[in-house]
Amino acid sequence: MASIDIKSEITGTVWQVKAKPGDKVESGDTLIVIESMKMEIPVITEDAGTVTEIRVKAKDPVAEGQVVAVIEG
Amino acid sequence: MSWLPEIEEIHRRRRLAEQCGGAEAVARHHAGGKLTVRERIDRVLDPGSFREVGKLAGRASYGRDGKLAAFEPAPYVMGLGRIDRRPVAIGGEDYTIRAGTGFGSDRRKGGQGGFIEDLAWDYRIPLINLVDGTGGTVNTAKRKGYTVVPGYGQDGFERSVDLMGIVPVVSAVMGTTAGGPSARALLCHWSIMVRGQSQIFAAGPPVVERAFGTKVTKEELGGAKISADTAGTIDNVAESEEDCFRQIRRFLSYLPQNVWELPPQVACDDPVDRCEGALASIVPRSNRQAYNMRRLIDLVVDRDSLFEIQGTFGRAVITGLARMGGRVVGIIANNPMFGGIMDYKAARKQAHFVELADMFNVPLVFFADIPGFMIGPESEANAVLREGVRARYVGLQVGVPVFTVIVRKCYGMAGGGVIDRRGLNFKIAWPSAEWGSLPLEGGVKAAYRREIESAPDPARREREIEEELRQLASPFRTAEAFAVEDLIDPRETRPYLCQFIEALQPRLKSQPGPRLKAGVRP
Repeated sequence: MASIDIKSEITGTVWQVKAKPGDKVESGDTLIVIESMKMEIPVITEDAGTVTEIRVKAKDPVAEGQVVAVIEG
Repeated sequence: MSWLPEIEEIHRRRRLAEQCGGAEAVARHHAGGKLTVRERIDRVLDPGSFREVGKLAGRASYGRDGKLAAFEPAPYVMGLGRIDRRPVAIGGEDYTIRAGTGFGSDRRKGGQGGFIEDLAWDYRIPLINLVDGTGGTVNTAKRKGYTVVPGYGQDGFERSVDLMGIVPVVSAVMGTTAGGPSARALLCHWSIMVRGQSQIFAAGPPVVERAFGTKVTKEELGGAKISADTAGTIDNVAESEEDCFRQIRRFLSYLPQNVWELPPQVACDDPVDRCEGALASIVPRSNRQAYNMRRLIDLVVDRDSLFEIQGTFGRAVITGLARMGGRVVGIIANNPMFGGIMDYKAARKQAHFVELADMFNVPLVFFADIPGFMIGPESEANAVLREGVRARYVGLQVGVPVFTVIVRKCYGMAGGGVIDRRGLNFKIAWPSAEWGSLPLEGGVKAAYRREIESAPDPARREREIEEELRQLASPFRTAEAFAVEDLIDPRETRPYLCQFIEALQPRLKSQPGPRLKAGVRP
């Protein structure tokens, strides 16, 4: 088991938080949706695991590379 | 009398060379999960095709009887071989011999300049560098009795630079490289490294620690996560050495031997008139939603033919080589999963790829869904405008035919960069296409501010103007004006493009040779 940082690939604001701590996620699942450049950009996990932390809430600004969630996988 | 004793001596010395740095050094190298340079060369090339040159070069010492007492092979192995039956020049440092540092031969074998680069140059054949050397050593001064001026004489990059305009050059970073070998690795058309095994930097951890007092591991400093995924210094990442060799062979399969030839055409069993139903609904009706652009490309090009270049870097754009009807094309597609925006990384990636395709007579197909340049303070600080305009400048210098499939958004300055209006070059649009100098949302407020603010119900007036303009934005109106050359059923994309790509081959044949470019890039 390792802790995996899930980062936003793009600068924008949080549009929707789709996952919550305790959720089991699969590779390819969307955890958070970022709004950037008038687009809804999914933040996807490449690893399966359990969500341990969601570090943002709706309307929060996020920077490229910012850790928005952590999963234990 | 015969020459058999001398002939036997040649064979004996060849066997000595095959021992690389000796059983112990080879075992240590293998224990690190790495293959020797000889094993690597054998695996990259067609079986049995390696014709080594300079196998007897090395440091010999002789006994009093004048017989060979000890032999250390030159730490560089190279020669001629074949990939898919086509000749290639290939070479690499032997890390098991003094970490692949130079050995001061009369004529350099390879690494920076040397016989192997002359071979690629003189015969106009691709060059493969298997880089696994640590660069210069301060010991050289001891050997020579003086220190050398960098970039002079045998160590120059003159030939390496010349090759960039003539034949495909591939660099594979196989181990940890710094200094000269790092720089040489970059002078190529395409590079690859092995995740977890390869690191590349200007200088390694001990030098960094001495300079800044900070401790970093070599993986943190120059592993694939930094060098490929973050910086784009190296193009592709392999999961293992075998994967690396497969990717090298695959990359070269799309390219001609040199700039005077056309890329090889392969037999195609995927019907050129294949119309995929999924293309009619792959783009969501909401222009805010993302979709899988990679899948879209896969549905259009020959089955399994897309080979991505820089797949982990600048992911807002997808660049790759593919085939349509067995003929090679260069694909550039905006990736809506990353907003499709042109940020500085995507711009840099696109400019490099366009130049690569143009150099080797590969026509270009853009799949456009681009809302514009990435905006904001961070993006401006990273010179998005300069990188973006450079991408457009490079795009307008190409000599190969260019097609643009406007899948969805095509806006503004960045949108202009996916379209080439010179000559025949044309664009076909899907019904989901929308374009303009900037998107309606936001644009209306800027252009009609006074009118909106003075209206009794400003919000309503804004919606009315937006609706009025939205109707004008229908792609059918633009098609009526022949301002977009065609509006097509997305399912027809493959047959449409395949037919034009077949027809343009005579044009490619008419313009072989080095690309001479004038001007200064912005």
